[in-house]
Amino acid sequence: MLQPKRTKFRKQHKGRIHGVATRGVTLAFGSYGLKTLEPERITARQIEAARRAITRHMKRAGRVWIRIFPDVPVSKKPTEVRMGKGKGAPEYWAARVKPGRIMFEIDGVGPEIAHEALRLGAAKLPVRTKVVSRIGE
Amino acid sequence: MSATVQLKAEPREKVGKGAARAARRSGLVPAVIYGDKKDPRSISLTIREVEKQLESGHFLNTIYEIDVAGEKSRVIPRDYQMHPVKDVPMHIDFLRIAKGARLVVAVPVAFQNEDSSPGLRKGGVLNIVRHEIEISAPADAIPSEIAVDLTGLDLGDSLHISAVTLPEGVTPTITDRDFTIATIAAPAGLKSEGEEDEEGAEPGEVPAMHGGDEEEAGEE
Repeated sequence: MLQPKRTKFRKQHKGRIHGVATRGVTLAFGSYGLKTLEPERITARQIEAARRAITRHMKRAGRVWIRIFPDVPVSKKPTEVRMGKGKGAPEYWAARVKPGRIMFEIDGVGPEIAHEALRLGAAKLPVRTKVVSRIGE
Repeated sequence: MSATVQLKAEPREKVGKGAARAARRSGLVPAVIYGDKKDPRSISLTIREVEKQLESGHFLNTIYEIDVAGEKSRVIPRDYQMHPVKDVPMHIDFLRIAKGARLVVAVPVAFQNEDSSPGLRKGGVLNIVRHEIEISAPADAIPSEIAVDLTGLDLGDSLHISAVTLPEGVTPTITDRDFTIATIAAPAGLKSEGEEDEEGAEPGEVPAMHGGDEEEAGEE
């Protein structure tokens, strides 16, 4: 799973996701991409599950690019622990995505396989998405 | 060479975000024509016409003749903005073309004869490094696409700009190196099996801290 190699601080504030994406909104590598329509935290597990679903449907042909990186540590308190006594331990890593962000790109496969692979990948993600393709494809 | 396409536009009297948003609400795309040492002119085009041109795939390397209330201008689109979520055109910049001008434009690459490439027939992947090539060309001779022949390319081969025949008068803007346009990569199946699925660290493992990580110890 994706996670930072090293970080300056172990824990981060929760934060809020406002507005729409201004960067990473156009296809940069592949011919087809999966764009999010909602703001959300995408966990490293969800990214990995989507990547596996996409590559498996593509039968290991073509190429996949992951355009998001889970760099936000999300902490969680253990079960049956009273509130207070400080912030919980880091549990998992997540990427914050804003609407319009291209999360995955693929290339080297035909349009039918690309659309189906991205549809299967999108089913692993907690956001509504749409498949975008390069103009002229 | 791309043929000149006729477009009809209306003059836009008010400028600024309020007027631009009002234009978008009424199904128009705000645009501007500038260049050729004349004053810029704010115009608006119908969204249907703009989307039709964008879908052609050659929008940024096609010469247009825009008719603004009877006044015709020869222009080339220099940039366009799309809405990040809705993917509808928001604004277009058109550059007036002066007589005898040379322009720097990005022209899409068209890959041909994929069936004649032994690498692709073996299951290799066409790894496109550049979907577009930036060229300098006379305004009247901008190619609609750059044809790239894949005949004879095997796995591991790469295709450079030196292998492409450009039309007369057309030169790539990158001249200091023989840049790569595409490569034929081996498919993931031919590389070590299962290598991809087992990458990454254990879930929940916390990476090493840049500084000391004991600052928050004993809090749990």
